[in-house]
Amino acid sequence: MEENYIKIEIKPIIENISPARLCITSFLGNMDIHLDELMDIKTALSEAITNAVDHAYDNPQLLDKIDIETRILRDDKVKITIKDYGKGIEDISLAMTPAYTSKPENEHAGMGFTIMESFMDEVIVDSVVNKGTTIVLTKNIRKRKTNKS
Amino acid sequence: MRYNYENGKLTIYLEEELDISSCKVVRGIIDGYIMKYQPYELVLDLAGVKFMDSSGIGLIIGRYNLIKLLDCKMTIVNAGDNIKRLIELSNIKLECV
Repeated sequence: MEENYIKIEIKPIIENISPARLCITSFLGNMDIHLDELMDIKTALSEAITNAVDHAYDNPQLLDKIDIETRILRDDKVKITIKDYGKGIEDISLAMTPAYTSKPENEHAGMGFTIMESFMDEVIVDSVVNKGTTIVLTKNIRKRKTNKS
Repeated sequence: MRYNYENGKLTIYLEEELDISSCKVVRGIIDGYIMKYQPYELVLDLAGVKFMDSSGIGLIIGRYNLIKLLDCKMTIVNAGDNIKRLIELSNIKLECV
């Protein structure tokens, strides 16, 4: 696949999650990626953006935006970087524990990171308290929508 | 979102995308029907759901926790393959058709 990228910046409100998801899957949909793998990426991406929107910005003084960069790399990899400038994650391993949620009252399943890790090949979380969190999701594209001989 | 109530069985036909935004809306509507009809069985029909993430899992678990207080059972039907994978991953032990 040819190298390509798209960068978007969103205001962190829940109404923007669906358009951001659609924008990026539409970008990836132009590539030769099988629908199953596209849906895996879409779901993992949704988890990462939802985390940033829902958890990062309790403090109005923090820089109020999320940057999402999606790259198609030459070795058939898709790499998505989701960067927020919010409050950060104090304990990353606790946050990544299956079924853990910091907001049980909101009916969160606590499955966000588990889904990201199951649906992507690599999940890297880098977070600094009061500076923000960066999540890098990488997937190797194995299935094609076209059958090349 | 459509629903049907017949002989103690409440069926909810969920639609489109179940993410954090839509789940916030749908949750209140479903709970309103549950409280109104107090059914013996709740069926969540996912045939119309094109996309779901962990917010949808939260919605399912939340409804289950509510209806078990009413001695009601819950069934999920017509989940697509992607949604089935999510449900299995979340270790939800339901009668998943």
